[in-house]
Amino acid sequence: MSYLYPSSLEEALGILRDGSGRARVIAGATDIFLQRLPHSLVDLTALPALSGIKEESGLITIGAAVTHSQAAASPVILAGAQALAEGCARVGSPQIRNAGTLGGNIVNAAPAADAAVALAALGARARIVDIKGLTREEAVEDLYRTHNRSLVDSSSEILVELIIKSCGINEGSAFTRFAARNALALPLVNAAAAVKVENGLVKEARLVVAPVKPAPTRLQRAEEMLIGMPVNRETRLAVEKAAASEVEVRSSLLRCSARYRLHLVGVLVGRALETAAQRAQQRKRGNDS
Amino acid sequence: MKQQIIMFQLNGEPLEIYADPAESLLAILREKLGLYGTKAGCGKGECGACTVLVDDQAQNSCLIPAGKVQGRRVETIENLSRGDVVHPIQEAFVEKGAVQCGFCSPGMIMSAYALLKSSPQPAPEDVKTAISGNLCRCSGYKQIEEAVLCAGDKMKNRES
Ligand SMILES: Cc1cc2nc3c(=O)[nH]c(=O)nc-3n(C[C@H](O)[C@H](O)[C@H](O)COP(=O)(O)OP(=O)(O)OC[C@H]3O[C@@H](n4cnc5c(N)ncnc54)[C@H](O)[C@@H]3O)c2cc1C
Ligand code: FES
Ligand code: FES
Repeated sequence: MSYLYPSSLEEALGILRDGSGRARVIAGATDIFLQRLPHSLVDLTALPALSGIKEESGLITIGAAVTHSQAAASPVILAGAQALAEGCARVGSPQIRNAGTLGGNIVNAAPAADAAVALAALGARARIVDIKGLTREEAVEDLYRTHNRSLVDSSSEILVELIIKSCGINEGSAFTRFAARNALALPLVNAAAAVKVENGLVKEARLVVAPVKPAPTRLQRAEEMLIGMPVNRETRLAVEKAAASEVEVRSSLLRCSARYRLHLVGVLVGRALETAAQRAQQRKRGNDS
Repeated sequence: MKQQIIMFQLNGEPLEIYADPAESLLAILREKLGLYGTKAGCGKGECGACTVLVDDQAQNSCLIPAGKVQGRRVETIENLSRGDVVHPIQEAFVEKGAVQCGFCSPGMIMSAYALLKSSPQPAPEDVKTAISGNLCRCSGYKQIEEAVLCAGDKMKNRES
């Protein structure tokens, strides 16, 4: 066994089954190739079941092997899941985006992976199949075991696709991040928001920030506080405060102090919220774009 | 990993190699095939010196396991000039002073080449994005950006 090219999902699962833990899936290779390689690699990038982006009755389905470049340029994602297009556009560099995939971004389980943070804010669900043929569906933020460890075992499970409710009337989403440079720099903090606004008041909100915990972290108190509030500067400031008070962040010698990071959490959540709310208000009935 | 046969197209020619699929494409190009144009910098995706085109898209060859190029089209800097005639992008790099030590140049040029293939008349912002994965420690990027824009014009003029 060595480097293998299954042509169907069933064949890929069969190889993993026969490998009994010694074979692992590989997608864009941008993370796994710098780690210790298993005995066999099962390349998923050519599988039809894991490629393509489609929209059907309000649901967007994205193959796990879709690259960041493909997602960032997809008209379906730009229209119905803008935060994801923005998150993917900020990953690494063009070279990394041309290779790296959404599935890899999630299963590699870095705490502030850009696509994963956007997906969590959009309420994305991941469809996973295992070598026994069982299928399960989980929220993206529920797929983390601990720091840099996914609950998806890539020697016996395959993340097949991601499912997102397409952005509807009065809804909008946005992604922001702050890093030392514009390219090739992991974010000090990244954040994403998805909101529904009716008559100037927030109806629904999902706010996600990272790195706080091993998984993209929802700001539940700030979300609850937002419901019923008008979209304005005061609300944004209140949310910035609430966000920074409900999380604990770590200092990093290389990147920044915990205090600075906490400041960034507030500011970035506020920015994501403001942009998402503006977009929601532009997506009224009639001029739905 | 055990060696296996890998078939792909390299610079327009079909090629079959017997190699460790877990070796990097960069190592294969330089050490097995003697194509030293592609540079080995950081070895982890952060400098872009090793940039090649895979199916017309810029990628870091240091991050590509050789097994991955099976059935794909790979293009390296060696494919740009025709004998003594250099490619318009290379010509523009020389004219605009975009080359100093030259270590980043093959990668920069391949990123520019990928951009100009998909958008022949790029905006300055597109050029910045296209070379954002390529580090240059000498030139300061301004001349490189100018060279890429100038190359776009040269290529357009040559066609007409
Ligand atoms: C220089 C550099 C810069 C980077 N910058 C960023 C950045 O700014 N932001 C960011 O978020 N990330 C960044 N990354 C990380 C990386 O590029 C992304 O996480 C990418 O999305 C990983 O996807 P991949 O397809 O390359 O994964 P791979 O390396 O192929 O796989 C990663 C892991 O996921 C598993 N896996 C992959 N696909 C599946 C699947 N469908 N089902 C089950 N398991 C699977 C693999 O077995 C492996 O364990 C950077 C990486 C590099 C090298
Ligand atoms: S050598 Fe490949 S990116 Fe630096
Ligand atoms: S010319 Fe020296 S690194 Fe760019």
